[in-house]
Amino acid sequence: MMQHFVNEPVDALAIYRRGAPHPLLCTFRWKDQRYDVKETHLVHRKNTGETIHRIYSVDCDQRTCVLRLDADRAQWTLESMELLS
Amino acid sequence: MSRLVVHLDMDSYFASVEQQARPSLRGKPIGVTGRPSERSIITAFSREAKRYKVWTGMPVWEALKACPNLVLVEGHPRRYIEVTKQFLEILKEYCARIEIYSIDEVFMDATQEASKHGGPIAMAEEIQRRFRESFGSIITATIGIAQGKTFAKLIAARNKPDGIGILDLEELPEILETTLVGEIWGIGRRISMRLNRAGIRTLKDLGEASPAFLKHEFGVYGLHLWEIGQGFDSTPIVPYFEIPAPKSVGHSKSLPPELREFDLAKVVLRDLCDKVGRRMRKLGYMGRTVHCGFRVGSVGPHHGKQTTLDLPSDDGEIIYNACLKVLRKIPIQPEQVSNVGVSVGNLTPRDRMPNFLLEEDRRRERLNQAIDGIRNRYGEQAVRVGTTLLAKPIPQHIGGFIMASDDIELG
Repeated sequence: MMQHFVNEPVDALAIYRRGAPHPLLCTFRWKDQRYDVKETHLVHRKNTGETIHRIYSVDCDQRTCVLRLDADRAQWTLESMELLS
Repeated sequence: MSRLVVHLDMDSYFASVEQQARPSLRGKPIGVTGRPSERSIITAFSREAKRYKVWTGMPVWEALKACPNLVLVEGHPRRYIEVTKQFLEILKEYCARIEIYSIDEVFMDATQEASKHGGPIAMAEEIQRRFRESFGSIITATIGIAQGKTFAKLIAARNKPDGIGILDLEELPEILETTLVGEIWGIGRRISMRLNRAGIRTLKDLGEASPAFLKHEFGVYGLHLWEIGQGFDSTPIVPYFEIPAPKSVGHSKSLPPELREFDLAKVVLRDLCDKVGRRMRKLGYMGRTVHCGFRVGSVGPHHGKQTTLDLPSDDGEIIYNACLKVLRKIPIQPEQVSNVGVSVGNLTPRDRMPNFLLEEDRRRERLNQAIDGIRNRYGEQAVRVGTTLLAKPIPQHIGGFIMASDDIELG
């Protein structure tokens, strides 16, 4: 149940659905490995001044990953990863 | 048409949010703390932990004794505030008059709106379904419905977790007869003991007591108690857009061991003064009375005094200088303190104040406006007072777990 803090930018594929409160994260690539999102557990906003971040807690391949979306720059960052036992 | 009050209470809120975000915590007894150390206290327990007779505010060491397999999780206040904002946005679609009672509890006046959603029960079911769709299956809410706030809260408490309860007026006499006064919202241990000493144990006893006696014992609150005893509660709902003007603005901080030295505590106090000034400017108030104090030891007495400024201010530095003056007035100058706090009262709206006459004051006002502008754009940590950077551990601890009511802003 150990959380590993990563804090590295990642490539991500997300769907921006009409009317949805936030984009749906489908998959992301980190260190040449692809992680498909199986389930989104929680998405919440985090503001730093005017910058709005959306924090995603998602399940992918027996891992819970926390990703941060900088909505202004459309940048995704993998914040942490936790292996599910 | 009688009033219809809906009380919505999130179940084991902070712990549920953590379990929703981290599935590895689900099904486990968890305790949310400010910092997962033995000196900390537990601010919320998961449902699984509640079986071990633990309570909010319990020291970590005691909680671990009661529940040895308790998993300690560091809390994320911003995360809870954001989830609260999200569920309030959902609730706004159902009721206009919403009172934000705390971060995880609201009252809603659904007198007009319930029928539009198929009645109060159907509305409550729909709200619970919307919550599940938005937040998942772990973050749940219990909903109590009654004619007044007190009974709505009582009904919610009796239907936890994830339940819906409605007060049936036919059941009211039985509820009055079987409900102990201590179960009622607002009746704490001391009032409960005083009522018990007067032979009042249940709500029915309360209703049968003389209003004159209750008023004599408890003042105006006694009449409210009598009203509750009659099965009636007219306490109004204060919607978030009608929040009364603040009487004071303050911040306090429990200090971690590495910051308990008095000089370091003053650095924390400087940061708190800055926060108070920033909040006052945000709220549009200036204040004259500065109260400052500290606590020695974890259960020691609180030492505090106040001073009055020559002119109202919303400037962190002026507030801090007043605090230093106050601290000099306190006869005890301990080596270690466990808590520091500052509050500014005697508030006046900024727009009712004349403009500053002296150039120095105008310059400070412009400086504060510039700093506020930078912080609004780049975040609270973008500009900080130099002295608060001297003690390196401060940045990670300042901010703490306290949520100011104006943290939850709704449009």
